[in-house]
Amino acid sequence: MVGLSIGEKHFIQGGIAQDLRSDGRKRLTTRPIYVETGVISQANGSARVRMGATDVIASVKAELGRPNALQPDKGKVVVNVDCSPTAAPMFEGRGGEELSAELSVALQCCLLGGKSGSGAGIDLSSLVVVEGKICWDLYIDGLVVSSDGNLLDALGAAIKAALSNTGIPKVNVAAGASGDEQPEVDVSDEEFLQFDTSRVPVIVTLTKVGRHYIVDATSEEESQMSSAVSISINRQGHICGLTKRGGAGLDPSIILDMISVAKTVSEQLINTLDSHIAAAEAGEEES
Amino acid sequence: MAGKGGAAPSTYSPSPTTQKTKSRIFGNDDVDWVRSDGREFHQCRPAFFKTGAVNAAAGSAYAEFGNTKVIVSVFGPRESKKAMMYSDIGRLNCNVSYTTFATPVRGQGSDHKEFSSMLHKALEGAIILETFPKTTVDVFALVLESGGSDLPVVISCASLALADAGIMMYDLVTSVSVSGLGKNLVIDPILEEESYQDGSLMLTCMPSRYEVTQLTITGEWSTPKINEGMQICLDACSKLAVVMRACLKGPDSTLEE
Repeated sequence: MVGLSIGEKHFIQGGIAQDLRSDGRKRLTTRPIYVETGVISQANGSARVRMGATDVIASVKAELGRPNALQPDKGKVVVNVDCSPTAAPMFEGRGGEELSAELSVALQCCLLGGKSGSGAGIDLSSLVVVEGKICWDLYIDGLVVSSDGNLLDALGAAIKAALSNTGIPKVNVAAGASGDEQPEVDVSDEEFLQFDTSRVPVIVTLTKVGRHYIVDATSEEESQMSSAVSISINRQGHICGLTKRGGAGLDPSIILDMISVAKTVSEQLINTLDSHIAAAEAGEEES
Repeated sequence: MAGKGGAAPSTYSPSPTTQKTKSRIFGNDDVDWVRSDGREFHQCRPAFFKTGAVNAAAGSAYAEFGNTKVIVSVFGPRESKKAMMYSDIGRLNCNVSYTTFATPVRGQGSDHKEFSSMLHKALEGAIILETFPKTTVDVFALVLESGGSDLPVVISCASLALADAGIMMYDLVTSVSVSGLGKNLVIDPILEEESYQDGSLMLTCMPSRYEVTQLTITGEWSTPKINEGMQICLDACSKLAVVMRACLKGPDSTLEE
């Protein structure tokens, strides 16, 4: 928790009311975003995203597994977020568990869509190798290295960058396996299939402080929030998920207003993020 | 839900038989399918509430919406644990658990770890925490039988239990969810509909204040659809509040919507 004096609290609240925040931003301006891809060589894909002092790493690991008996034509995706005590002492031991669980659930809800699989950012059917027998299990891990607010948006961006950095090895299935036998597979370590990330949404969190709401809040600003709404939006402008944090109630019309604001913000964010990811990928290939 | 092989239920589980082998009963373009329990798309299941279900608790409530059966007890306010820092407002401690026989497959209820924090978030905005400083109120919810829309039922039932315990609240909290199935929105989905849903929207609100305390959306939604879904939910929430209020007032509170 951030310890703030009454004066500082008033300064933050007053600044937001006057559309000039402590760091000189306007209410709907985001901090500059830095994207690095391929930061973890052990993983199939990884990315590090920094927004101000918020620093997160996302890694994607693919493992061969068996599809769920109920959904034989789909792979599995597991999203897990870890809050390291290096980011804040309160994350030590079980302290970070609650936040980790909250972030994991929110990301899962934003990325995976409905139960039937529609609206998912990741196309689960593309992960199947042999229907009902072999599929890729995608483990998406987020790590909070340093926390200065707006973790969910940063993690969402990092996962999007990590997924576009992900190469799934090509699998050759040995022919001849029949019936219930598990077919033999040969995982290629040279050929990789690129992942389609055009449908992966970005997450925009609008934090309500006083009567106004801001994007990309720092932790000082987050400590003054009454509620926050995180909206994940894809390139088509469709809502892929929405969660609310903070106890204070909101008028339904404000929520709809927030959704339309989030849409405009997300368009810019998607474009910035895409160009940053492209630049990061290009930089990685050169080095 | 792979347990369809064992036809004879070995434990007490009057839940509907699972639908693994059934084909999808409603197509995307098919507008006129009938919901398996005969309801219309925008018709909720009959709601039954009863307060005072647990003697030992400060307040408790039992709710039954179709096959979804939930019991919530509220304990406290009690002294906060020593390890907690001093706080001039009260604390709310929520826990949602499933009985092992609540789900079609035994013990599957542990998949819903996030429900506890979601219940907490839905309720904290409605409780006047300033009225019990330095103390903690425990809200324990147990899903006896999962029949779809579990979390909304838990939230509504918990607010009734809090009211029964005499915890000061701004308003009752009611919650309703809708499922998107193809082009249609169905309210108060049952387990079967939830497993086929393309998206879901759960709205929790304080009806008399017309404030949304929690909103969760999964799946892909367009803005007009969100609008529609929210309106349906808000409408149902205010109707649900009438039922809950009647239950709190009535001496023998058996009211059906």
